[in-house]
Amino acid sequence: MKNRTELLALFTVGLILLGVPVAALGYQHWLRPATAHARIIDIEARIPEDGGFGPDAVTVPMGEPVTLRFASMDVTHGIAIGPGLDIDLGHVDPGKVEEITLTFDQPGTYTYYCTTWCSPDHWRMRGTIQVIDPDNPAFVLPAQSDLVIERLIQEGVDIDAVHGADQEHGETLAFARPPSAEQGAALVDTLVIPTELTDREWGRSHTPMQAVELLAAHNPQSTEADLRDVAAYLWTQDASLETLLEAEALYNQNCAACHGQYGGGDGPAADTTAEKPVAFADPGYMFEMRSDVLYAKIRRGGMGTDMPNFGTLFTQEETWALVEYLWTLPVAAP
Amino acid sequence: MLTDGRINLLERAPLLKRVLKARAFQPVVMLLTLFVFTLAILTGIAGTPAGSRNFGIIFVWIVWWALLIVVLVPFFGRLWCTVCPIPAPGEWLQRRAIVQRRPGKLWTRGLRWPHRLKNMWLQNIGFLGVAVFSTIILTRPSVTAWLLLSFLLVGVVLSALYKNRVFCRYVCPVGGFIGLYSLLSPVELRVADPDACADHKTKDCITGNEYGYGCPWMVFPGSLTRNAYCGMCFECLKTCPKNNIVLNLRPFGSDLMVAKERRLDEAYKAFIMLGCALLYSAVLLGPWGWLKSWANMDTLPHWALYATGFVTFNLVLLPGLFGLVVWLIRRVTRQQHPFHQMFVDYAYTLIPLGLAAWIAFSFGFVLVNGSYALAVLSDPFGWGWNLFGTAGTPWTPLGTSLIPFLQVGVLTAGLLFALNTAYKIARQQVVNHRPAFLATLPVAGFVVVVTLGFLRLYLG
Repeated sequence: MKNRTELLALFTVGLILLGVPVAALGYQHWLRPATAHARIIDIEARIPEDGGFGPDAVTVPMGEPVTLRFASMDVTHGIAIGPGLDIDLGHVDPGKVEEITLTFDQPGTYTYYCTTWCSPDHWRMRGTIQVIDPDNPAFVLPAQSDLVIERLIQEGVDIDAVHGADQEHGETLAFARPPSAEQGAALVDTLVIPTELTDREWGRSHTPMQAVELLAAHNPQSTEADLRDVAAYLWTQDASLETLLEAEALYNQNCAACHGQYGGGDGPAADTTAEKPVAFADPGYMFEMRSDVLYAKIRRGGMGTDMPNFGTLFTQEETWALVEYLWTLPVAAP
Repeated sequence: MLTDGRINLLERAPLLKRVLKARAFQPVVMLLTLFVFTLAILTGIAGTPAGSRNFGIIFVWIVWWALLIVVLVPFFGRLWCTVCPIPAPGEWLQRRAIVQRRPGKLWTRGLRWPHRLKNMWLQNIGFLGVAVFSTIILTRPSVTAWLLLSFLLVGVVLSALYKNRVFCRYVCPVGGFIGLYSLLSPVELRVADPDACADHKTKDCITGNEYGYGCPWMVFPGSLTRNAYCGMCFECLKTCPKNNIVLNLRPFGSDLMVAKERRLDEAYKAFIMLGCALLYSAVLLGPWGWLKSWANMDTLPHWALYATGFVTFNLVLLPGLFGLVVWLIRRVTRQQHPFHQMFVDYAYTLIPLGLAAWIAFSFGFVLVNGSYALAVLSDPFGWGWNLFGTAGTPWTPLGTSLIPFLQVGVLTAGLLFALNTAYKIARQQVVNHRPAFLATLPVAGFVVVVTLGFLRLYLG
């Protein structure tokens, strides 16, 4: 009887010292993935200074469900996956886990990234999902060409250069009053509008000040301030409210930390960047800016400025929506 | 007489006596705590580094700590030592048995513990050593895990080298302060008749017999007058052939008046505990962000400054100020007792205040962060498990409006207890009321200032 008690106690000790670790680790790392209806990939999120995402690259087969589990290891992060997936897991607090199960239906490359300003190097916090075709794992989808950027390069536009300001003096145009799209809307029917200005492509590849010059040539009786109002209207009229709201969410998640919530160039991280972030709310800056250059800067990033590239996070449509949202910042929307 | 004003619980509750006499009692509870301990180490090493979501941090520094400092130590003294899993593997290896009384010698080298170390100094140093890293230990699960594991390994190694529970008695940093504060507890293990022990030839409580081992804490129950070094393992209850062991309910703080056993190492333990409570309160609850950053090792030089200040405050500044108080008592009362003896004696005044300060300090974070326990119970590693359906329990601070009242109440009780103790100690040194009252005044000033310091930190 005594020996039986002793053996039972010894067995219990063994169970505790060996059984508990084996059971816990075995369940987490073997049994749980083996019995899950989808393959589980655990991704730990740390601030980039401590390593960022781990792993920062995962490969998943096309057509198979996969569960991505994001666990924050240090501070609150925000997790989104793009481009074009419209996946936002929201905030992940320290020690919490957020997960999503996905099935990719074609090969390609996606990016998971942090959407919360977690550290000075927050924007480096990205990871890549490589979706492969199990029947042809070596196949990699060729990079999608971007005609807008290619055209700018062909045109000889230096995308990394300073745009929108008086480049010689580093100053922006000074307007007596900010352009008003609302007033522009009231004036537009009273003026002669050159056909170029109704062409969307022309508008994307020219600045509002070029439009003002064109308007002045056709409407010599009008003041420049009125013509700036009309240009403000023309540059903001196309965006639907729904598009603007979606773009605003993207802006707040990805741009506001540096450029400021209202585009003042005064976000909480503005002092940490190599170059002072651009103030989109400054009409003097924006009226010398082209939409296609804004688009290109967003997608490629700004060399030497700490402006990250967002081409791997946003679709081209999302990028254009963001550009249209930026035009609402320096002017009063109609 | 020891039994004056005391209630023998074993006589009142025979079932309790049966349970405590059963050989399986201690191992069964130890196995339970060993399970929790193992899980704490495992989660600390393999689980999320986010402390608030890690079982190791929450169950060691919130649940266990609250249980220990608010319930076990004040009301049951060293009861935690009865069930502590840290010495268990070492002790079981020594005995080559877990439950049964295995005949023969203990499995150990049987070295002699150095005479110079037969005191609390190692525990004092150990506690300070842990305390200067406390901000890091308390927030980083892996550090907590390795610390616990190192305690366990040191316990095993010392058990292999020395007989009995040398680790618990002389090394464990936690055991030191539990022993000191157990002087206050209303529960004591003693003998009913000391003469029966004196006359008893075989001293089974020391040598052991077929029913149990000789006292692992190296204490002779027959001469036990204080709780400080009785680990409440109840081996003597099992071995005593004369049925002479009693478990008494008694007035709080009875052991503080045992003058002949007061010692400098224990006095310093009282200073260290009070000083650490004060400094922890300043670092963790105070408005000084830079101090928290220094304690959190933002840079090595900052932490070195913090650690130096921490140790100096506890070992030099606080005892130094108290030395001035004792000097003042000697001036006021013209006492002829040696300074050293008075310094040690009056330091025991700080024991009730120290415990009250720790309880008050603990209320501040235990009630606020206690709700994390439910979440980590279901998801101990922070891996997204939900074992009991409580993983999603939101953080819910409890009784936040009540905490200041609890803190003020506990500190006031501790202050009154300390004042009463100071007066009683004074009466031990000078018989008459008036000089004793005068001698109490400087100590009273000291404890009042310290209490006000705590109140300032807790109430803002």
